[in-house]
Amino acid sequence: MELNHRNIISIGQYQDLEIAGHSEEILLALYGQMLRLRRTEEALHREYHPADQMRCPIHFCIGQEAVPAALSLLVRGDDYLFSHHRSHGYYFAKGAPMRELFAEIYGKETGANGGKAGSQDISHSDSHFYSGAILAGAVSIAVGAAFAFKHQRTQQVSISGFGEGATDEGAIWEAMNYAGKQKLPILFVIENNRYATFSDQLKRQASDNICERVRTFGVRATRVFGNDVVKVYSTLHAELEAQRKGQGPSLVEAYTYRWNSHVGPEDDSINNYRPPDEIAFWKDNCPIKLIEEKLLDAGYLTDELKRRIETDIAAEITENFRFAQESPFPADINWQDANWASASPLADALLSETEGDVFDHTQAEARLGPY
Amino acid sequence: MARLLSYANAILEATDQAMALCQEVVVLGQLVDTRAGIFGTTTGLVDKYGVDRVQDFPVSENLMTATAMGAALAGLRPLIAHQRLDFMIYSLDAIVNWLALWRFKSNGKSAMPVTIRAIVGKGWGQGPQHSKSLHTWFAHLPGLRVAIPATAYDAKGLLLESIFGESPTIIIEGRALYSMTDLVPEEPYRIRFGRAVVRRKGSDITIVALGMMVPLALRAAAILEGEGIDAEVVDPRTISPLDRKSICDSVSKTRRLLVADPAWRSFGTSAEIIASVTEATGNSLVAKPVRVNLPDSHTPMSAALERKYYPDEITIANSVRSMMSGKELVVENR
Repeated sequence: MELNHRNIISIGQYQDLEIAGHSEEILLALYGQMLRLRRTEEALHREYHPADQMRCPIHFCIGQEAVPAALSLLVRGDDYLFSHHRSHGYYFAKGAPMRELFAEIYGKETGANGGKAGSQDISHSDSHFYSGAILAGAVSIAVGAAFAFKHQRTQQVSISGFGEGATDEGAIWEAMNYAGKQKLPILFVIENNRYATFSDQLKRQASDNICERVRTFGVRATRVFGNDVVKVYSTLHAELEAQRKGQGPSLVEAYTYRWNSHVGPEDDSINNYRPPDEIAFWKDNCPIKLIEEKLLDAGYLTDELKRRIETDIAAEITENFRFAQESPFPADINWQDANWASASPLADALLSETEGDVFDHTQAEARLGPY
Repeated sequence: MARLLSYANAILEATDQAMALCQEVVVLGQLVDTRAGIFGTTTGLVDKYGVDRVQDFPVSENLMTATAMGAALAGLRPLIAHQRLDFMIYSLDAIVNWLALWRFKSNGKSAMPVTIRAIVGKGWGQGPQHSKSLHTWFAHLPGLRVAIPATAYDAKGLLLESIFGESPTIIIEGRALYSMTDLVPEEPYRIRFGRAVVRRKGSDITIVALGMMVPLALRAAAILEGEGIDAEVVDPRTISPLDRKSICDSVSKTRRLLVADPAWRSFGTSAEIIASVTEATGNSLVAKPVRVNLPDSHTPMSAALERKYYPDEITIANSVRSMMSGKELVVENR
């Protein structure tokens, strides 16, 4: 049976998470990354309204921790990662610092983008992490980075994370066609959480068959249960290795679920778009809980170790809230410099200055035709 | 050493020199690797630099723009070309939502040095989908530079300046200008953005002319000279940034302003120029400012209607005569 969002609930309790063959270190790192992301999102969610100091839309990713956590162990420093607006997990996956994320959300000078971008547009160029809110646009740009990597004959990979909602947009299919045709080193990672805002995939698309569709473009594609972080890790690992060997583009579609509303801490269940048993299924199969049980069984995780991990994360979060809150707001802005570069070092180095155009205006215009 | 080169050959030479100067320069576009080579502007480059650097691209204009953007982010200097600007409209998301604001939203930490060439057709029945010059749209966007070169000399210098600059740039090329020659220096040189040029000095009226209107404005000035009217012709060369100071300096001297812009009349660059001058100089004009544009209409195919649609040197000269005499000119189709 091929996985989809309609048959997935019939699994009941997911039993297939398998830790054999993976090192304790990797497994604990996957767990730790997911927990750090979960606790961060919970803290931002909790603080959002009482403080009302995070004055930007935040798309919380609680429930969708597995994909970014797996990527965080797999990406190289020089890989580029392009994310959708539910961006915090991918931001961490590229190793970008929590303090700059928090300060950015608070609109502070010390934020990753000096408070110009906020949560849904955040980037950290030193980490080669970029995001944006207009869905397929970022996927197309990721293709361009992959074009450059192929051109430069590096082993870098361009990673493009998006949701199934983005596949409604035509730009995605231009990207698939070109990536497949040119065998570009790009890894498309879809977190299929079923809903584009409140709209079910099958309200928008004829079939839940994105993998099948991209294969016709020459893009390898794999579906996975996206809350099994070990399976997600193994799948992404194999695909990234293949990419680095020049085996061309691939797509991994991870079926997962967001626990919260589409955006912000408010409850959007008034739109009545998600059945309660579906929400219950996904919470029962929490990606953190699934691996935690196995780690406890195997003795890799103990109550003592868990307490230590939780304490470290809590301290990090507290410290970064403090940093964000104490940081100054941007003092002023130069609108010109903010939008246009003034320096042009390469042109300075390569081009000469000259003046003296003597245009002869009596010439006839170009004669067009016959086309 | 300067020698006569056509506008098309000046673009080809600039591209060739850019590719020779810098390995990171790549050219993407539909049929850039053919002998036809975008009306001769890319012909032969593929033989010299190979298919890795001169790549035909699928008819996926949005992706082409985004590919150039991602490639620029990863260190390349992409130049993309559209045979007709109208096709580029598929890439509005890439341009408006991403390219124009990339520097801004990264807080100046990240740049996308992408150059986009877009050709605007004129004549031989190009009609409403092969002739739109939407330079005003793009100049409205913060973060982009927009050039509208009128001469081979400027076409070369502005293209090189764009490829090796740090801000994304759109260059609007008039197809009608492609065969016009000009003295073009051999060496790779730059023309800086935001520097207008006075193409003809005069004292009675300032004609600000853009792109395809520049030769027409100069011809009108030559006609008017015989009637004792001394027109100054200013070519801004780039509209974002726009050299408002040079235009205002000229108008301060002549106290009359006509703007000739090869685009629709309403909400256009000509309105922006007149507004900028009146903001700066108040009521010092001695004649009402005048715009010479295309009518607020889509482009007709029929040659008979094309002749009515496109202003020429006579249109400009008549408008100037009217401004000098103080009599209102009755213009059809406006």
